[in-house]
Amino acid sequence: MLSKSLIAKFAEIAGKNVWTEQEDLMCYAYDASFGEMCVPEIVVKPETTEQVCSIVKLCCEESIPLVTRGAGTNLSGGTLPVNGGCVLLTTGLNKILEINTEDMYAVVQSGVVTSDLALAVSAKGLLYPPDPGSMKMSTIGGNVAENAGGLRALKYGVTGDYVMGTKFFDMEGNAVISGGKTVKMVTGFNLSGLMVSSEGLLGVMTEHTLKLVPQPQSSRSMLVIYDDLMKASVTVSEIIGARITPATLELMDRFTIKTVEEAAKIGLPTDADGLLLIEVDGHPAAVEDEYAKVKSICEKQGGKVHVAETPEERDRLWEARRKALSSLARLKPTLILEDATVPRSRIPEMMQCIKDITSKYSLTVGTFGHAGDGNLHPTILTDKRNTEEMLRVEKAIDEIFASALKLEGTISGEHGIGSAKAKYLESEVGAGTIRFMKKLKNGLDPKNLLNPHKMGL
Amino acid sequence: MDELLKELHELEEMMLQCMKCGTCQSDCPLYRTDGRESSVARGKISLLQSVYEGRIEDAGRILKHLDQCLLCTRCLKACPSGVKTDEIFLRGREILRKIKKLPKWQKLILKTAMEKPELMAKMAPLMHMGLKFGSKKIKDGIYRPMLPALGGRNVVEIKSEAFVKKYGGLNKAENEIMRVVFYPGCAVNLIYTEWGTAVVEVLRHFGVSVYVPETNICCGIPAASMGELEMFRNAVRANFDALAEYRDAKYIITCCPTCRYGLYEMGPKQTGAECPLEVVDILVFLEETLKVKIQSGVRGRSTIHFPCHYQDSKKELVESFVRTHTDTEYVKLDNQSCCGFAGTFSLKYYERSKGFSRSKIQEMKDKRTDKVYTPCPGCAMQLADAAAGEGLDAEVTHPVTELYEFLRKIK
Repeated sequence: MLSKSLIAKFAEIAGKNVWTEQEDLMCYAYDASFGEMCVPEIVVKPETTEQVCSIVKLCCEESIPLVTRGAGTNLSGGTLPVNGGCVLLTTGLNKILEINTEDMYAVVQSGVVTSDLALAVSAKGLLYPPDPGSMKMSTIGGNVAENAGGLRALKYGVTGDYVMGTKFFDMEGNAVISGGKTVKMVTGFNLSGLMVSSEGLLGVMTEHTLKLVPQPQSSRSMLVIYDDLMKASVTVSEIIGARITPATLELMDRFTIKTVEEAAKIGLPTDADGLLLIEVDGHPAAVEDEYAKVKSICEKQGGKVHVAETPEERDRLWEARRKALSSLARLKPTLILEDATVPRSRIPEMMQCIKDITSKYSLTVGTFGHAGDGNLHPTILTDKRNTEEMLRVEKAIDEIFASALKLEGTISGEHGIGSAKAKYLESEVGAGTIRFMKKLKNGLDPKNLLNPHKMGL
Repeated sequence: MDELLKELHELEEMMLQCMKCGTCQSDCPLYRTDGRESSVARGKISLLQSVYEGRIEDAGRILKHLDQCLLCTRCLKACPSGVKTDEIFLRGREILRKIKKLPKWQKLILKTAMEKPELMAKMAPLMHMGLKFGSKKIKDGIYRPMLPALGGRNVVEIKSEAFVKKYGGLNKAENEIMRVVFYPGCAVNLIYTEWGTAVVEVLRHFGVSVYVPETNICCGIPAASMGELEMFRNAVRANFDALAEYRDAKYIITCCPTCRYGLYEMGPKQTGAECPLEVVDILVFLEETLKVKIQSGVRGRSTIHFPCHYQDSKKELVESFVRTHTDTEYVKLDNQSCCGFAGTFSLKYYERSKGFSRSKIQEMKDKRTDKVYTPCPGCAMQLADAAAGEGLDAEVTHPVTELYEFLRKIK
């Protein structure tokens, strides 16, 4: 519990946007990950960067842990206030400051909702490519902090590839400016690069300059149905091997298809063993050429190709894919989503591993993911009240990550480490890297106040 | 308290389906204005869970958060996990209402409205007079009451004679092709009586005889939204019993989507009883069953506000109704959020609710529309208040009234 005088100091900074009642605090004790609730001591929603600066300084002086939170849609426990303290909401910083169509960049505050930016940019004939599944809710600040991926990441890359500059406050409240509006800029350390994937451990970001690109002139979307999931996996490697980079190349297994169809009712083939959602985009001539090649590769593997004829049909397909994760939550009380990622050519091997692990521990697992970039989301359906099953779940997760690393992959493609995956980090990056990260964190935040204990730091 | 925890626990299976993914944020009108978790479904579910898991001791404290919900069901429709948010929040309010009782005067008004419908109808002339004497006339049919408790709200006139008093019984059509029951609901019975007239007369014109119940029993939704779920269930049962009497009627017609939602969707879920006939909105009935083809020749620039409880699948039908049955130039509103009326929400949180409707009126001003159609009397009251408040001289009405005016002229 914070003292009354301390609460008054927060109120002096942010006025009525300060909450300390039990019921308000309980609303920030979770995020979208599976985990125990962690209750903060105070929640504050600044509306100006000056307020952010003052809050950071106050937390520093009074040694209050500080967790920055956007929409709280993250899936790795990154915004859980494990040490209590202050949750700083960025939702009050929600202005799009500039969309520059000549130099093709946008400047936005951290709390801007991703799809609001995407729509504003698209109204000006440009594209902001990162499109995480949560884009209708998640904020740009959160996307940068978690380096969110998305359905278009295969061709266009992830959020980090679009960050040209970032403004943030360090734990002493110093304003730090990194990067800017020029295409080339090599001034000093690449601090905005450092902030990407930093999960709120190094500073509180307030503003971002983001690269925009021209909208593709043409696109084609396909739904490809397979009677054997492994053939779908092989198709993915073959498309990449044929030097074709679709914008999107998504995979769903039988289990996921069935649940998504139940939730979205868009006419997915529920008797299929697996399906691919593929979109090629770019110059019309290139699109036609790539489409023909992709189609023939799919058909060679026995896939039945259906092309979306209208934009509405295409949107329905993509919407269904975005809802895959939460649709699975219809079936069991607890849902644990993993983010195992492997080099693309090793997708079939990874799919086989997941299949084997699932049957070894007799669990219910739905697998879908951004197969084109090797990013798979095996999703375990369980009930946290079933302690015996939870033990099997934990073992299965250990093995899934071990398999991903054995195949030269990673434990997190796009959801971050947070608290959920902290224990696996060293197995991927080694002790030296952890020490380097610890030294960096300690140097910038000696009292370990910024989102403490995440990534095990 | 133990009993209460036990009852909350019964909601556990429904609430566990919520994986806290936050999808509800994108569609929640309240969250879109304040960005706070306590406004959005995910947050409210966490609060309920915190009570029965013992993290919040004083359960009464969370009622205000559950109460601040428009029951617009946008989260219900958007939720990929299929969480039944409307059922959870209605039941949650009911359970918590046991700790924090409604103030006695509110309960008395609610009980009168729910359980003494004849008295309500009889009081209409009194309310009519009271409103006229205690208010300032803003424009025809719109008054600003002097009572400070109403916060400068502009209200639509309460009529001196209840609709059912005039139309109660069978309104027979020449060349009758079928019979239906028209369920007016409280707002049409006492305030928008002209909508009721339009519904009955238009139906008669097309050969449909219309039963109007002699007594209008409220659908019960106001009670449900205030946490008095048992009162709601009683109202639903009373309605089902009364409506079952019309044995030769084919449908129940309504011009209030909230009444339809109460009787046909939430009512059966909460009571286990079935509505004796299918409840169909008047516009859907005219388009799909009667397939009317008529052009009314009304001019101007119009727009439509879609009520939250209007069936999503029928929204295009309303647009096509306005396009084909009026000659107005139709402009779509970008702002498709709730109008803010939301049953009793606007009464409880007027300042907040005002923001929703006024932003719509602002868009209407920008788009130079002089008419807003809405197939819901609650929304119409809220928008009429906002239009008067923002000084926009726009007509707010139900599309069926245009058709009636036209038919009257050509007769």
